[in-house]
Amino acid sequence: MTQPLTAGVSLKPQHYADALACRAEGLWFEAHPENYMAAGGPRLAWLDAIARDKPISLHGVGLSLAADEAPDEDHLAALKRLVDRYQPALVSEHLAWSMRRGVYAPDLLPFPRTQAALARIADNVDRMQEVLGRRVLIENPSLYLPLEGHDLGEVAFLAALSRRTGCGLLVDVNNVFVSAHNLGFSAEAYLDALPAEAVGEIHLAGHAPDANADLLIDTHGAPVAEAVWRLYGRLIARIGQRPTLIERDDDIPAFQDLMAERERAHALLTRETVDA
Amino acid sequence: MPDGFHDRFLAAVGGDEAALAPWCAGPAASAGLAVYRNTTAKGAADALAAQFPTVERVVGPAWLAAAAVAHAADHPPRTASLLTYGEAFGGWLTTFPPAADMPFLADLARLDWLWTGAHLAADAPPLEATALARLTPESFARYRLVLHPATRFAGFDDGAPSLWQALQPPGDPPADLELGDAPEGLVFVRPGLDIDHRVIGAGTLAFLAGCGAGESLAAAAMDALAAEPGLDLSTVFAGLVAAGAFTELRTLS
Repeated sequence: MTQPLTAGVSLKPQHYADALACRAEGLWFEAHPENYMAAGGPRLAWLDAIARDKPISLHGVGLSLAADEAPDEDHLAALKRLVDRYQPALVSEHLAWSMRRGVYAPDLLPFPRTQAALARIADNVDRMQEVLGRRVLIENPSLYLPLEGHDLGEVAFLAALSRRTGCGLLVDVNNVFVSAHNLGFSAEAYLDALPAEAVGEIHLAGHAPDANADLLIDTHGAPVAEAVWRLYGRLIARIGQRPTLIERDDDIPAFQDLMAERERAHALLTRETVDA
Repeated sequence: MPDGFHDRFLAAVGGDEAALAPWCAGPAASAGLAVYRNTTAKGAADALAAQFPTVERVVGPAWLAAAAVAHAADHPPRTASLLTYGEAFGGWLTTFPPAADMPFLADLARLDWLWTGAHLAADAPPLEATALARLTPESFARYRLVLHPATRFAGFDDGAPSLWQALQPPGDPPADLELGDAPEGLVFVRPGLDIDHRVIGAGTLAFLAGCGAGESLAAAAMDALAAEPGLDLSTVFAGLVAAGAFTELRTLS
């Protein structure tokens, strides 16, 4: 793939045929590897076909890097098989946990960002990169819980993790916006403090207000909010073009609707390239 | 700070919010924990709904979501890939009081589960009918048929397979869910990428089971005739081969 990645979209089974047929410049697709950990069948066949002429990103949600234990070796081996099969342009995971003593909580759970946690998670990211034989990107999750006991802010923690392991960062601008609202910090200051050279991918997604409390929920079930587009413009004006995903996991619209949002990011990215 | 944040966090999401008191407390903690509680429950419920579409067609999304939350408390996911989450759901439904007036529901779940197994199974070329040219009735004892990796089948004491078929889209689900008294089986095949299914009788079921157990063609045929005397075996055999139920004809060693 010599064409640079501009804006991509989440790959959903109901969009397989549209994704395969689409010829948009710079387009790429991101898939959750957990949805392709099968022995065979139509899912893998579709991804085979799409990966033949489009760049693919594998965005893991279940490796549980922020657990207080090593990542599950079976899961890592399954991820390795997919990385070998699809040769993805990007591979990413989250600064969060979801496995504990062999039980999976389907969510991205928080933790106190202590020095001990940094050492543990750096070991886990090292293990992931060792098994996959490549650099990975680590994403900031949405936060909902004001925790005591942090030694480091999230940006400082991610920057230190990147320095220790060589991993890159996946900056989810919507998650920054949601966390900033929920925990009461400045999204602008957060984005301005990120180490530009470490950022390898950006996510944009929609959110919604919680029904019961003054919280924003990272639903991935709505178009990207205007406030998030503004933060995105601010980020790429500072750090330059990065592959940017329109992420959608719930209330999936027609492929064309997702692509319309994607075109907006693509336009911003290609304009940024010309200016730079 | 004490140790054991992760265990205490899970306890707090499970309802014991005081367990997390060293790290957070008060209304903001309760509100945040509620978000994680809801997201985790929704994750398990969405995964189960995706796995059991025929059950969902009968009971509706809200009923299934409530059942999924109760089921997840007894059988939480064990792997981060939820593609194979739900193996216990069919059996569990027989113990779920709100399902008591729908005795067929557990069997519909079992059939959905077989569909998932066929969907995710390894790829393999289906056995071509021409490969059977070397077979003669006298050689049946020296060969066995290897099931295609995606072939799945099961037998039931009633007409659950016909009911399951009637509930498949794109048609509207039947207004009355009629469950026949006669025992039936169902076989799923996936010779390529598309899954096909057909209702089968006791003889065909016994034949498939014999093949799956590694029996010779002769032994599987005997099983089939014992289960269903008078069965037209050559038609059953040709139909299964044409459907793609097998991948290989192998000489018995």
